Amino acid sequence: MGPLSSPSSAAAESKIKAKQPWRCSPSRPAPSPHPSSSVRTAARTACASPPSPSPPPPSPRSRRRCPATTPPPRGTQTRTRPPLFLRPATHPVPASALAAFRRRAAALVPASAPHLHRHLRWLLADASTTSDSDPALFRAPLDHIESLWLGHVRARRPFQYVVGNEHWRDLVVAVKEGVLIPRPETEAVVDMVKGVEGFGGGWWADLGTGSGAIAVAVARELGDGGKVFATDVSDVAVEIARFNVERYGVQDKVEIRQGSWFEPLQDVKGKLMGVISNPPYIPTEDLPGLQPEVGWHEPKLALDGGRDGLEHLLHLCEGLSSALKSGGFFVFERDLTSNICASIWQTNGNKQSEFLVDLISSKWSSSFRDVKAVLDFADIKRFVTGYHR
Amino acid sequence: MARALLLRITRYPLLPATSAPRPAPRLAPQLLARHAPTPLRSLSSSASISSDGPSAGRKREEVKDSNVSKEIADYLGMSDDELMEQCEMGTFKASGPGGQHRNKRESAVRLRHRPTGIIAQAVEDRSQHMNRASALARLRTLIALKVTLSDSHLFNHVISNYISVRRSINLEEYTPPVELLQILPLKSTVRGKGVGPQIGPKNPKFSPGMQALLDLLYAVEGSVSDAAKILGLSTGALSRLILSDDSLRTAANELRASKGLKPLR
Repeated sequence: MGPLSSPSSAAAESKIKAKQPWRCSPSRPAPSPHPSSSVRTAARTACASPPSPSPPPPSPRSRRRCPATTPPPRGTQTRTRPPLFLRPATHPVPASALAAFRRRAAALVPASAPHLHRHLRWLLADASTTSDSDPALFRAPLDHIESLWLGHVRARRPFQYVVGNEHWRDLVVAVKEGVLIPRPETEAVVDMVKGVEGFGGGWWADLGTGSGAIAVAVARELGDGGKVFATDVSDVAVEIARFNVERYGVQDKVEIRQGSWFEPLQDVKGKLMGVISNPPYIPTEDLPGLQPEVGWHEPKLALDGGRDGLEHLLHLCEGLSSALKSGGFFVFERDLTSNICASIWQTNGNKQSEFLVDLISSKWSSSFRDVKAVLDFADIKRFVTGYHR
Repeated sequence: MARALLLRITRYPLLPATSAPRPAPRLAPQLLARHAPTPLRSLSSSASISSDGPSAGRKREEVKDSNVSKEIADYLGMSDDELMEQCEMGTFKASGPGGQHRNKRESAVRLRHRPTGIIAQAVEDRSQHMNRASALARLRTLIALKVTLSDSHLFNHVISNYISVRRSINLEEYTPPVELLQILPLKSTVRGKGVGPQIGPKNPKFSPGMQALLDLLYAVEGSVSDAAKILGLSTGALSRLILSDDSLRTAANELRASKGLKPLR
């Protein structure tokens, strides 16, 4: 449990460093020579291009939804800078300049958003070393920090992209534009799979791994012989997931494979102890109404669940029985609070939330048992779990 | 932030990693020594003295009532996972669909231990995992307290003291002390000109002002709007002041929780 007891991500980082120096990019290891790592099928349809990671986000007004005509160049991110919170602290900032910055930054916070004061403190904590020295040592020039702050407050760029991390379970997971920021609700998935009999020595798949948060957290709980296959179709996700896997030193437990859902896993068909996925599950028609931090900045690829939000979930259900071994476990995160399935399930509206459970246990009743909806910490039916017969 | 958290860690030692073998002592006194921080123990003894019942008699009763004690001691012998199984976990604000729909960095945790009804919460960290560990550690402390103080009235008394020792205030004759005035925003109408510039959380003088503010908040039963009126501020302005410092926010929210009020966010 490395960073659990660390007061800040910077301290957490130094602990990890002591154990496992994270490798900065120039000599990024070549992708694993597995044959299926060359599979690069962009199997998804709607809005499948992740935003380019480098330029600052365009102002929301000028941003067009779904820039399908100009996909960003693929495979060009051979080398990227480490996230802000991991850069060396080499920029001295005198106390007076810092105080002036604090005043300017705090003045930007509207009365309606007091939580931004907390974000400001966290930004300064992540962007500097924790000592009280004068001058303080920052990981970027102060004017750059200021532009980051403006981007957060005005352009609603998610705080996690600004500092380059999200605190998730006991991990500090690196994130950047192009991967979904792992959500606190999803933390529970790791506890669910941990409870499965034979968990420690099994082979697991994390489909659509994104930042790799689930894969890393599961890998850290595994015993001898245990392994996680983490797949994702997105280049950025593969890059960031690999970064996080190495940062936590679980390369021997996590194998990252690029491709869509089950596609890169043909060779382990029928051998998986479990399948975990947090697929995109927001109905396409709900995308325009999302919170700006989500809708303007996070990748549509990781959010857009197609019609009724079920497109990818149903695809995953289809593939489950051939992927899992007998008795294998699955857990999917999904969203059943919105009016999804209304058209499919009109006869019994109050059972909408049970739709996926019912579907799996009826349509695929010969394949699965103990299919149920599991609540998240806010008592929302967030997950569906079950076992292969 | 880091400072507040360090403080928290020393007050509530974090749990050992679940994977590490956990010694599971069954004896309540040992556990008390392990889990209850020193200021707490002195608090509980002072509470016993000030209570109207003969505390020694109570202690004997409790020893006789070995069923209750044993059961409670068993809670403490449980692993984190086992204890967690017995808890309902809630967050303070479960509005909206959550999940992929939302970006929400604040991750407060509230644990309700079903068998005893004890509630423990943590809001101070940005990681929910961390908050859960803090809340669980706090829950252990509270359960350990309950072992020595099985009388629920006395227990509640100690809990409210535990949250912090507050000096009592006579509201009718109350005028805010100067250390409190100094941390108020300039727009406060009771502040006066001679008080000088506003003192922020980084200044060592913030702490006495914060204590005075918590005393007042305690006297008005946790109501921010009542306290704001007394301090010549809008409710929003006082909320912002409380939220501006993590340790102040945590203390204020614990105090509010003890009065059955929702935390400030």
